[in-house]
Amino acid sequence: MHEDTTEAAGGPQGPLRRLVEFWALLGGLLLLAIALMTAWSSTSAWLFGKPLPGDVEMVEMLTAISVFMFLPYCQLTGANVTADLFTSRASARTVALLTLLGAVIALGFSLLLLWRMYYGLLDYRQYVETTTILRIPIWYPYLPALVSLALLAAAAVASVREALRDSRLLP
Amino acid sequence: MESNLLIGLAGLAALIALIAVRMPIAYAMILVGGGGMMILSDPHIVLAQLKNLAYSQFSIYDLSVLPMFVLMGNVASRAGLSRDLFRAANAWLGWLRGGVAMSAIAACAGFGAVCGSSLATASTMGQVALPELRRYRYSPELATGTLAAGGVLGILIPPSVVLVVYAIVVEASIVTMFIAAFIPGLIAVLFFLVTIAIYVRVKPDSGPAGDRVPRQEFIEATVRVAPVLAIFVVVIGGIYFGFFNPTPAAAVGVFMVTAFGLARRTVGWPQLRTALLDTAKTSGMIYLILLGAQLLNIFMARGGVPQAAAAMMANSGLPPMAILILLIIALIFLGCLMDSLSMILLAIPFFWPVVSALDFGMSVADLKVWFGILALVLVELGLITPPVGMNVFVINAMARDVPMSRTFLGVMPFFVAELFRVALLVIFPSLSLWLPKVLAG
Repeated sequence: MHEDTTEAAGGPQGPLRRLVEFWALLGGLLLLAIALMTAWSSTSAWLFGKPLPGDVEMVEMLTAISVFMFLPYCQLTGANVTADLFTSRASARTVALLTLLGAVIALGFSLLLLWRMYYGLLDYRQYVETTTILRIPIWYPYLPALVSLALLAAAAVASVREALRDSRLLP
Repeated sequence: MESNLLIGLAGLAALIALIAVRMPIAYAMILVGGGGMMILSDPHIVLAQLKNLAYSQFSIYDLSVLPMFVLMGNVASRAGLSRDLFRAANAWLGWLRGGVAMSAIAACAGFGAVCGSSLATASTMGQVALPELRRYRYSPELATGTLAAGGVLGILIPPSVVLVVYAIVVEASIVTMFIAAFIPGLIAVLFFLVTIAIYVRVKPDSGPAGDRVPRQEFIEATVRVAPVLAIFVVVIGGIYFGFFNPTPAAAVGVFMVTAFGLARRTVGWPQLRTALLDTAKTSGMIYLILLGAQLLNIFMARGGVPQAAAAMMANSGLPPMAILILLIIALIFLGCLMDSLSMILLAIPFFWPVVSALDFGMSVADLKVWFGILALVLVELGLITPPVGMNVFVINAMARDVPMSRTFLGVMPFFVAELFRVALLVIFPSLSLWLPKVLAG
């Protein structure tokens, strides 16, 4: 009966948190929609020999989008796994400093990828490539991906600030 | 060439150092992999690759099965399947001495057949079975140990997220791996049941017999697991017999568990919302690690590290079986320190070239399957061993009055049973290889 208890997700709260959660939830609903579409397509293929045209490329494109949409939420809730080998007995301050290091790398990664994928988008806009069957331009999924990376950067900034506060480098 | 190898080895050392200072494993891999690529080839080329590397990695069709299985497992966790499974198992086994614990194992196995994650299985079944085990006054060691060990069945019995990742890393067929895992999974269930039987014989007070249920209730409880069985038959049966590819099968599975939850009124928007957010966390984490592993593998391959490791092992003069046993010990050791997914992605790219160069008198394709099943079992052992046995943590968090050390103590007999199973799988490769041959032929 009470199986819907979720572990209280940690990490920074506030408007950014709500936005990132909403974005992840949207990605989750997208994933659910992909699953239902795929289930429909393969059942239809099995019963009538008629799958939805282009179902494979839809799965590829939409799954990639939904995964990008998950990344900011992972950052904000600290879902990215670490190995607690030698740090389980370290002081809270040491752990906060190490967390800071991870958050800075996350920020650098998101900004680097945002920068590079923006140029990737421009490339695909200039020399338009499309998927084989449905002829969807490849740059379409780059738009939600870039929004996701911007949110990831914002989430990483929040993590950096939280870690700075926990390590008492900032008030 | 030599200097490339040195840079590769330095990268490996840096990676271990970063992971040791609690850097998220995905970012450690991305940093070392990306940095190494910059050093070993032109940075401009790497920057150009980054324009579409992440998108092309995330849009690989074979990977899409992962978030779908994760979603299926997360919805199943909230759909009340676990309660039905436990009730039925308890009707069958509960009256035996230690029977409530045996029921928990059987229910974990049943849940593992629709869920590909150990932690989800442990926490879901823990919520259902732990109160029952306590009601029948099972010893804290046996109660928590059983559930922590039972959770492992979530991943040993297909579908299995870790197995999908292994198949992707070594380029094996996901279908073959799923089929190969079936008999070893059944052996695990059997061994766990026997472990409990022996445990309660040695310590009779630890697991008293439960009640015999009336005939009416027995039938009703048994009938109620029909949907779980149906989901398993359609999804896993569909994959085994070639009706579905893994991704469509997982998609059908998502549909079936969601429909089941809606029909039973166990899944509403709050439950679905939690399931979706949990899926977001797990899938995002998996894909980020996969991206890191991709970068790291490009770097390591360019540095020639896996090849060097394979050559060193091949020239060591040790017999193949000795090398295999060394690798097994290394995997058990690593499993104690890391989560199973990161482990597969970190260790297998180095271990597999070593194994594939060894002569066990079987084809490379068979070797891939055999070693994969072994690796799966070994990395899962890390979930129940100190210092970071995640399953033990999850169950222990539910039974706050039980000290962690007692849970680890309770899990020990199951750990020993697992070591026996590893030995069995090493000695008899056909336990893993027979069923895929039969179903393929």
